[in-house]
Amino acid sequence: MKIALINASPKLKDSASGVILEELKGLLAEHAVTEYGFHTPALPENTEELANQDALVFAFPLYVDGIPSHLLNCMAGLEESFRKSEHPPTVYAVVNCGFYEGLQNRHALHMMRNWCEKSGLVWGRGVGLGGGGMLPGIANVPAGKGPKKNFSAALKQLAESVGTLSGGEDLFTSPNYPRIAYKTAAEIGWRQQAKANGLATKDLFQKR
Amino acid sequence: MKLIIHDLTPEQAETILPKQSGIRVISDNGKIRHCVGCFGCWVKTPGQCVIHDGYETVSALLAQCEELILISRCFYGGFSPFVKNVVDRNISYSLPDFTIRNGEMHHKGRYDNRFKLSVCFYGENMTETERQTAREMVQANTVNLNGTAGEVHFAERAEDFKGVLS
Repeated sequence: MKIALINASPKLKDSASGVILEELKGLLAEHAVTEYGFHTPALPENTEELANQDALVFAFPLYVDGIPSHLLNCMAGLEESFRKSEHPPTVYAVVNCGFYEGLQNRHALHMMRNWCEKSGLVWGRGVGLGGGGMLPGIANVPAGKGPKKNFSAALKQLAESVGTLSGGEDLFTSPNYPRIAYKTAAEIGWRQQAKANGLATKDLFQKR
Repeated sequence: MKLIIHDLTPEQAETILPKQSGIRVISDNGKIRHCVGCFGCWVKTPGQCVIHDGYETVSALLAQCEELILISRCFYGGFSPFVKNVVDRNISYSLPDFTIRNGEMHHKGRYDNRFKLSVCFYGENMTETERQTAREMVQANTVNLNGTAGEVHFAERAEDFKGVLS
């Protein structure tokens, strides 16, 4: 089966979407996988091949309850090419958010499904992951272990759906550690980044 | 102050947008750049995006407005790329720190302001599913931005909003 993994994070490296697709790639190793990067509003050059894929798997961060604007540009640019496709690919999407609750990604997944309807694509299923801010930091943790337990379980279910081109209910998962621990760790992280930029903690609260 | 962010053509804007004072309008000048996910607006220049293209100061305007009105072509049940871009580029209206609102994690407010969020979606062939997605997304935006709920309007043509906005 021909599968396109599309990293639609605006970040070129160290993105949560990259960690997600790296693990999915391992789970889909028996298939012909091609990797794409949708990092800017301009579509990459080789996207005409997307219409010939069996499955498209998007991974992107949640931006204000929705799809990042650069990806909207790309999706709008692709609509026409898929409408002409005789064998439209099945679309899957993994959306991660910085909030704890994976369910907060549901609106972005609905939009992906609406895009499929507009473009003549087949909607497969989506995954909404909470705790996305931690993923780059635990990239080297083995799949399914420790803080990756819930994350890997959801991706395994998705890979089974992708590998059989089947659909299903959207999956939502939150980290397998307490919300207060995630909140505390994130807030320590912001202060460390501010300090690295020469700012004091109080500067984070500056009003303009 | 009312703040209007829209993706209308200059001709549509001239016809539709109200002319009274106390309104600030953010339009597409074709030069906006997209958010690159650096979080510089939180940890480098807190409260303002690090990209200087004229759209980096909208979050400070959000802090002063009583009502935010978004006028957008409906894309898949969400905003158009331009309107979404302005929203994406101004997440520093909120703080990076978290709070729990309605049982869910959200960002704390940077400002005490609580504006009303109203949205006008236009476009031909909007499906009922897209309208439902749009209503739910705006409701989520309202919670995320710690605002109050305004109206969500739908119309085939942007010109149909003339009466709504005046």
